[in-house]
Amino acid sequence: MTASTSALLTASGLHKTYGSTPALAGADFVIHPGEVVAVMGPSGSGKSTLLHCLAGIVPPDSGTVHYRGKELSALSDARRSALRRADFGFVFQFGQLVPELTCTENVALPLRLVGVGRKEAESRATRWLERLEIDDVRHHRPGQMSGGQGQRVAIARALVGAPSVIFADEPTGALDSLNGERVMGLLTDAARETRAAVVLVTHESRVAAYSDREVIVRDGRARDMAGAV
Amino acid sequence: MTGATSAPAGPLDGPSAPEAAPEAAPEAHWLRRWVADLAMGARFALGGGREGWTRTVLTSAGVGLGVAVLLLATSVPHMLGARESRDQARENHGATETEKSDRSALYTYTDTEYRGSDVRGRTLQPEGSDPPVPPGLSELPGPGEMAVSPALKELLDSADGELLRERLPGRITATIADEGLLDPVELTYYAGSDQLTHGGAVFRVDKFAEVSEPAPIPALLLLLIIVICVVLLLPVAAFVGAAVRFGGDRRDRRLAALRLVGADSRMTKRVAAGEAATGSLLGLAVGAAIFLPLRQLLGEVNLWGIGTFPADVRPSAGLVVLIAFGVPVGAVLVSLLALRGVIIEPLGVVRNAGVRRRRLWWRLLPLVAGLALLVPLLDGLETGQTSVETYQIAAGVTLVLIGVNALLPWLVESAARRLRGGGLSVQLAVRRLQLDSGTASRAVSGITVAVAGAVALQMLFSAVVDDQQRHTGQSPERAEMLVTVPATAQLSEPEVTAGLAETRGVKQVFGQTTGYAVRADQNPDDGAVDSVTVADCATLRELAKMGSCENGDVFVTERSPQEEPESVTGAKPGAEVNLAMPDYSRPEGKQQREPVLWKVPEDARTVKGRTDPMGVASEGILATPAALDVSRMPGASVDVYVRTDDGVADAKEFVRNTAAAVGPTATAISLKATSTTAQFRAVERGLYAGATGILLLIGASMVVSTLEQLRERKRLLSVLVAFGTRRSTLAWSVLWQTALPVLVGLALAAVAGVGLGTVLLRMSALPFAVDWGNLAGVTVLGGLLVVLVAVVSMPALWRLMRPDGLRTE
Repeated sequence: MTASTSALLTASGLHKTYGSTPALAGADFVIHPGEVVAVMGPSGSGKSTLLHCLAGIVPPDSGTVHYRGKELSALSDARRSALRRADFGFVFQFGQLVPELTCTENVALPLRLVGVGRKEAESRATRWLERLEIDDVRHHRPGQMSGGQGQRVAIARALVGAPSVIFADEPTGALDSLNGERVMGLLTDAARETRAAVVLVTHESRVAAYSDREVIVRDGRARDMAGAV
Repeated sequence: MTGATSAPAGPLDGPSAPEAAPEAAPEAHWLRRWVADLAMGARFALGGGREGWTRTVLTSAGVGLGVAVLLLATSVPHMLGARESRDQARENHGATETEKSDRSALYTYTDTEYRGSDVRGRTLQPEGSDPPVPPGLSELPGPGEMAVSPALKELLDSADGELLRERLPGRITATIADEGLLDPVELTYYAGSDQLTHGGAVFRVDKFAEVSEPAPIPALLLLLIIVICVVLLLPVAAFVGAAVRFGGDRRDRRLAALRLVGADSRMTKRVAAGEAATGSLLGLAVGAAIFLPLRQLLGEVNLWGIGTFPADVRPSAGLVVLIAFGVPVGAVLVSLLALRGVIIEPLGVVRNAGVRRRRLWWRLLPLVAGLALLVPLLDGLETGQTSVETYQIAAGVTLVLIGVNALLPWLVESAARRLRGGGLSVQLAVRRLQLDSGTASRAVSGITVAVAGAVALQMLFSAVVDDQQRHTGQSPERAEMLVTVPATAQLSEPEVTAGLAETRGVKQVFGQTTGYAVRADQNPDDGAVDSVTVADCATLRELAKMGSCENGDVFVTERSPQEEPESVTGAKPGAEVNLAMPDYSRPEGKQQREPVLWKVPEDARTVKGRTDPMGVASEGILATPAALDVSRMPGASVDVYVRTDDGVADAKEFVRNTAAAVGPTATAISLKATSTTAQFRAVERGLYAGATGILLLIGASMVVSTLEQLRERKRLLSVLVAFGTRRSTLAWSVLWQTALPVLVGLALAAVAGVGLGTVLLRMSALPFAVDWGNLAGVTVLGGLLVVLVAVVSMPALWRLMRPDGLRTE
């Protein structure tokens, strides 16, 4: 598969094995700017591994990932890290906020990583916290707030750097359905507003409902339910 | 019969009401509950799966290491005592004279030095068929034979000992057994002789065993030993305390799971106590398991010429019992204290019970109490005696150092709270410390105590330079060695000088014959004694400032106001003197000699005396050989100053060999600008060895804490890396996180150390002096430890930053 000119991120023929356990066995994937794609599948099907490969966190054993036409596996670890800092945002299920930093500092973290000064970074972080209606806990540490609030902080952190792609791995997995809905609404609204693509790994249909398109991963292979892949 | 048969009761029989609820179990006796909870804790420790095992292994290894050090420390008194008693058992300094008999032997010291190592030597000559035999030997070596220690034998048999072999040519016929040695690395020998004559330095003995009272430990030295023990053992206690907390986070999660199934808060505490007690009891076993082989290993160690026999490394029974009870009890208390800061909730959530500010007031109490104990002693100790208020000082120093320990977490917290700015790595580190500085402070507290104590000791060491490590007044730049041959050797100065001059590596020699005289009209017993030195002009110039000098000249030195008045001295031109002083070297006591009269020439010139290379002011009569025949000076000894060639390796050893060839009573000493008493040297060495060990121990504790903390944050580290955090940022953050508490700790240690040192100096009536160089050295050592800990943690940090941490399936 060749990278489509309009595609933001494409993957083709990805293979990845952990020890003797195959996680991906020839998975393909494509996402366009501003698009929200839900990656679904049962536990152990390889969804998270696909996300990690797409984000350049884990190198595939074989196959290619192209971002804006550049092949990720051809980049050094440092360049891939720089790319993740500048162009990608992440939301995980849990354990993602630095416990000793306040909410503002957590949200400001990606900006500080790309060299934005502390004041400016925290000011931009505060704006995102206000937008996601959690500015009342901006001085709290992660241990001092609820799971839903924590997830919104994580979304703010994913969006603060104006990324092109947001990778969300089970972002509502640790939340009740009401909070899950609110978090998904905030995430997809903000992403569409900023034209950020979202790769949304989930096993919940109600979460996948927020996406434009669904990709099912089974036995390490990805099948586009819209027939695009 | 009723006609009705009763069927056996079945499960469907009975009341038609719903199944009765099970009866509540009767409330168990509190003791039984406690035992059950403690046992559950023990089960968690021993059978809690990989996680439980990891924590137990970490705790028991840490406690075991600490226990091994404690056992080693409690063995020190026995180690020193055993050395001392063996030393006493093999010596006889001739304090009690004995008659010549079948059971007597002549005995003299023939100590030497070889390439910086002391070699103890004794030469023996039996006077009958049943002479005394020193411990470690079955019989005395015969003439031309030697009995040597195993270490000396090994040296003499090796190529390294070739030069020493020339000095000790006797045939080795026996090896001294352990009971005759201080330690396995001691270099010592007994040589047999038939050339000794009783008198002078040759004693007659009929037994071995030191009869003189051992010298009491000087007050200053005792003070040093107390402080060293406190300084070295407190960090070990701190280390054991830290080891008990290893894996605490995981333990808390496990306890949370217990609460979910109905355990109350008290029960979880008892379970935690059981777990801690089990870990520490295993630690005791591990400690014993480390100690026993370590004990054997110590037999092989040669630390600056000091070793020990494994059998001497025996902890005192009382202290062993104290350790056996104290460590588990302490472990339980520490565990319970650690639980104060967390709330364990049934929903599997463990939250810190809020960030409580540490209180200062109680942390100052031990410091104040310690100073209160020390201040009354500020008027001074009686130096040279052991009448020191030992317990008061020990308690005072201990409390001050405990106070420093208690103050540190408050200081680190205060410092962390005030820190602002800095890069991301600094921010991560500072925020971490603001959230919980206790772990870091605990790890650092050992260093703080060690450094504070070391600084105080350094100050004391520096100050006692004038007291114990005094300037000798010797001038090694004028002569590196002095060879002395007593009169009993029956050798003339020119013979000795010639032999030394021909020795390899000798540049220059100055020989002199030294005797004494009194004015002829005075009683030799109570007259004013003048020294009489006979030497060539070159040598005399080393002793006095003189213009012309020819063989046949005689000089007298100017008299200082402190000396005998000129009216009574014989050291003046024209005076008649008696050169035959009583012989004090006779074993039977002082013996008068026939007077030998000599007149100081009328033309003897008065010159200004100089100090000789040994630092002794030259005075009296200085004569050239043609003016005074040395054969007229009974009892005169020969002294030869030797300058050696620095370019010739082992030049001093060649000189010693030549001196040894002169006879067993000839001595060759190296001149040194300073001398340190052996006791102080041993204490100083012990301090450095101990401090190094302690720092390494603390370093190990810090590494474990850091790794544990990193493991706990595996997922977070992976997430941070996922969104592009540079690995170097996280690495620096780890370094800052370790460095900040250490910096605060070192600053506190410097202040506390100087303060404690000042108190100790005042107590010892010594002037205030800080060796800033040493202070910097100790703090740099602490800093290096931080870097070492960070570097050792890096591989684990790199490993934990891999994306594996993101996987949940």
